[in-house]
Amino acid sequence: MRINRVIICTLALLIVESAVVPWLVPSDWSERLLPHLSFIMTMFVAGFSGRHRAFLFGLGFGILSDMQYYGFLIGPYAFGMGLVGYLAGLISERRTFSLGFFMWLLMVAGVVLDTLVYFIYKLFSLTDLALGFVMYWQIAPTVLIQLLIALILYVPIRRWLVHPSLSSADESSD
Amino acid sequence: MIGLILFIALMGFTLGRPRLTWPERFVNDAFGTAQGALYRPVGAVADFFRDLGRLSDVYKENEVLRRTVAKYTQDQIRFNSLDAENARLKEKLSFTERQKQFNNYRYMIAQVAGATSNPYENTIKINLGSRDGLKPQMAVTTEDGLVGLVSRVSNFTSTVTLVTSLDANTAKGMPVSATVQGRETESFGIIEYDEQTHTLLMTKIDENDPLQENDTVITSGYGGVFPKGIVIGTVKSKQVGDFGLTQTATITPAAKFDHLREVFVVVAPDVEGP
Repeated sequence: MRINRVIICTLALLIVESAVVPWLVPSDWSERLLPHLSFIMTMFVAGFSGRHRAFLFGLGFGILSDMQYYGFLIGPYAFGMGLVGYLAGLISERRTFSLGFFMWLLMVAGVVLDTLVYFIYKLFSLTDLALGFVMYWQIAPTVLIQLLIALILYVPIRRWLVHPSLSSADESSD
Repeated sequence: MIGLILFIALMGFTLGRPRLTWPERFVNDAFGTAQGALYRPVGAVADFFRDLGRLSDVYKENEVLRRTVAKYTQDQIRFNSLDAENARLKEKLSFTERQKQFNNYRYMIAQVAGATSNPYENTIKINLGSRDGLKPQMAVTTEDGLVGLVSRVSNFTSTVTLVTSLDANTAKGMPVSATVQGRETESFGIIEYDEQTHTLLMTKIDENDPLQENDTVITSGYGGVFPKGIVIGTVKSKQVGDFGLTQTATITPAAKFDHLREVFVVVAPDVEGP
């Protein structure tokens, strides 16, 4: 992947995430649909460029977004995105890249990330919601909308952000 | 393993810390500027489309507003005479300058620059910072009512924690004392937020409290965090509390907490000074 371009794109997405996305979500759903665009990019990095880059990428952008919304804690998303990015990179390194598998991975990783963050907040007793409620209320819709956004982003990312040699090699192996 | 320990330490360290270090301030300011440049135009476009949908209600709204304005002019006359009388009485009782200025709040308008995508930290970002005289713990309102309070201040932007994170069952709870408009001396309660039903709760109300449904609940100013007289919401229902000794009221918030564009920061006069 062209990592410099990816970083610039993700910085832009991070701004979009907090400035544009809240306006697109209807009022009734604003506490339920909270897509993490930088997390989607981390997963693309994990899929195309391996676990080490995904780890550093997730760590960096996680801490940036944590700092921006800092109300009580810094670190949950940095920790979660670093860990999930590394694991996703580990899994996708063992297989050839295919869109169906990647979407599957993104869904599972999204659930793992949000659950991890939930347990961190639970650990510091900053939330007293039940896990079942959070799953139904926030995690499930968020993961689905993240899948949709990833599908929309997939073609431009493949065209502009992945090295032509790598992407054509992938296509020949498909 | 070392990473895990480091992160737990970082999270523990950042929990309940009042000040920001310079890298955080830098990140906040850099992103805040860019967000503000994007958030406002997008908000304007979104509002335009919502207004198109609401065009039919405008006539009715106009009617109501006209009636309200008529009422305001009457109230204004009454208020002016009461204010003058109050000032005269304070002069007679020789209040100190500090006591006179105590309830003289200043409202600073701030534009919202971004909203959170973290479900457990209900924060928004506004484009006023320590350069404009903001300090942590200042109250933030909209024209409807109380929204939250300033939690982190950097040079040009600050983070506002919304009322929706006031939950007494968790470590982040912060009590807001409240009373009822018109009966400020008789009613008293503590405001909390219920995340599952999305309403506010007023707890620890006295058994003999004359609180009724549809009463307007305002901040009482006791406790020192929030200034006096900011509208919080209206009473929806009243129940007997957990132990039967106190009562609990469900309150519909007056302000809405999403799609915010402009908020007001309430600056209390500096009571620390001599």
